[in-house]
Amino acid sequence: MPPGPERFVRLEEQENTANAETTRPSLTYWQDAWRRLKNHKPAIAGLVGVVLIILFAVFGPLFVRESYSDQNLDFSNLPPTLAIFELAPDYYVFRTEDYKVLRIGGDGEILYRLPRTTQDPIKKLYTYSDGDQDIVLDFSYNLLPGKMDSPFDYSFVYQGNEITAPAKTVLNKNYPFGTDVVGRNLLVRVMYGARISLTVAFVASLVNLLIGVAYGSISGYEGGRIDIIMMRFVDLLNSIPLVLYVILIMVVFGNRGLNTMIIALGSVYWVTMARLVRGQILALKEQEFVLSARALGVPRSQIIFRHLVPNAMGPIIVSMTMMIPSAVFTESFISFIGLGVSAPMASWGTLANDALTGLLSYPYQLLFPSLAIAFTMLSFNMLGDGLRDALDPRLRKG
Amino acid sequence: MGRYFLKRFVYSLFTILLISSVTFLMMHSIPGGPFTRERAVPDEILKVLNAKYNLDDPLIVQFLNYMGGVLTFDLGPSFSKVGTSVNDLITSGFPSTATVGAWAVLSIILVGIPLGVISALKQGSSIDYSVMLLATFGVTVPSFVIATLIIYFFAGQLGWIPPFGLSTPQSYIGPVVALSGYSLSFVSRLTRSSMLEVLRQDYIRTARANGLSEFSVIMKHAVKNALIPVVTYLGPTIAAIMTGSFVVERIFAIPGIGRYFVESVSNRDYTTIMGVTILYAAFYVMMVLLVDIIYALVDPRIRFEKESKN
Repeated sequence: MPPGPERFVRLEEQENTANAETTRPSLTYWQDAWRRLKNHKPAIAGLVGVVLIILFAVFGPLFVRESYSDQNLDFSNLPPTLAIFELAPDYYVFRTEDYKVLRIGGDGEILYRLPRTTQDPIKKLYTYSDGDQDIVLDFSYNLLPGKMDSPFDYSFVYQGNEITAPAKTVLNKNYPFGTDVVGRNLLVRVMYGARISLTVAFVASLVNLLIGVAYGSISGYEGGRIDIIMMRFVDLLNSIPLVLYVILIMVVFGNRGLNTMIIALGSVYWVTMARLVRGQILALKEQEFVLSARALGVPRSQIIFRHLVPNAMGPIIVSMTMMIPSAVFTESFISFIGLGVSAPMASWGTLANDALTGLLSYPYQLLFPSLAIAFTMLSFNMLGDGLRDALDPRLRKG
Repeated sequence: MGRYFLKRFVYSLFTILLISSVTFLMMHSIPGGPFTRERAVPDEILKVLNAKYNLDDPLIVQFLNYMGGVLTFDLGPSFSKVGTSVNDLITSGFPSTATVGAWAVLSIILVGIPLGVISALKQGSSIDYSVMLLATFGVTVPSFVIATLIIYFFAGQLGWIPPFGLSTPQSYIGPVVALSGYSLSFVSRLTRSSMLEVLRQDYIRTARANGLSEFSVIMKHAVKNALIPVVTYLGPTIAAIMTGSFVVERIFAIPGIGRYFVESVSNRDYTTIMGVTILYAAFYVMMVLLVDIIYALVDPRIRFEKESKN
């Protein structure tokens, strides 16, 4: 059959169908990374967690009147939930572990402490007064022989009635996280602790980033003898248990401030970053765009910081997100062994350390700072994992 | 091969010496001597004390003396515990620290690696999810929290283990779990991901196609290769175990080196701080060397790479 027009398909139709399948909007590296990050559910959860912690640290203290150092010895060691006794209709009291009696509103608001008027340690009877009414606390049930078998431990006697069981458990309205041993609001302290822990983590990571990127990129770009000497130094630092050196630096500086902690963490942990950046730069510097930049006479520092470092930004950011939680961890560790910021300021590690002494009676004092640490670690780790997947071009698909 | 080991060994010795010098200089750059108290010590007493501990010598003499001591394993007297030397503290503390540490390392290897392998083989199953959940918990919760939780529940509420000391075999459980928690979780996560990577490789398919039993495919081909990155991590693990001992020994009241270190930090007992730092650093450097040697023996690729790079 001779070739004729009927054997040809119109070009536009073919082109259109092909186009619909193969083209998609062109995305930059960061748009593409964000698109993939959005589809990674744990990473988004981590991101939300990180934002929440930052909001908590930055804005939390603005919403409370107290500061981290305000104390009220009347209200020391109050738990976050109060088992309250109803002595008369709508008349609630709470007995603390150290036999203070507090007047509580029915909704969990702490009103005031009732003064103890007489005490009889032999019979295990304490009398408290509220205005002209006396309240007798009988705590002999769990202590005196003969009464040990009774089903309850304490009883209140008020206007001739004996009340043996708490009426209900209410949430502590004044102190949602409870109070510590001198009656400081734990919620406020955890908020300010978040400020300290996160400031240390962010600034130390930033310092690490700056030192690590500068060191690694210079070492990688220069190559040769400079590279060998610089990397030998890194190897040397890397063969030292770094926490030991952070502790040593803390001891040497002596004053227990935020700055010391930042200097200590920042001066030691840049080693991994330097190695990573060097590896990236080594691979990148052989590419044509560097050659062309050099041929155009771009100065060395500009080649490094305008051309090479931005191209290595993906792994750098991932390593940075991983560095922040480990800085939080190290900071809390060092504070825990007593080298953190000085009182009355407190980071999460210090708070956990303070909680140790009263652990059996007041476990909640350890719970909240530990939860804060764990939550931060988890959020940053999930975000970091997601970022690693999103920023790695080798995993690019679809 | 032999040259490589020798080179690494000399390099490690050099590292230890350098660490010792840096530590010495750091401790001597602290303003105020070791006998500075809040109430001023009379000059005559200070003079006698300085003469007794040779602190009136020029810095270079002190430095050479100290380094000579380090080379002959003599770390000098303790400044805050009168009459005891740093060596005494170390020899009295080392057994407990070493036993707990050894158990921790053992449990990391014997529990962490199998957990990772199993969860990789059963990827997506409930076993996998629970192992990964536990591992995430272990990586996110600090060791001091794990330690206090153990004391609170198992020693306080349930009374299964003693809350402090190392008097009975059960009392090792708490410190070992707290000490190994982080690294164990990390190792099982690492083993899992590296195992998943290896199982996708062609040589595993080839091994299966050759009709090898599933057991020998997993044990001989997959696990062996998957362990290479895990071996690399063992060096830092030792660091984690050692620094972890500061906290764990304090919480469980174990009379080990870690506790002496923390005490000496708060007492400003400079010689003890220096001595323990050098000991830890030397131990760590030697362990890293050991791991590198094992690594080179396990994976010939790495040895040649390193040799050609040097």
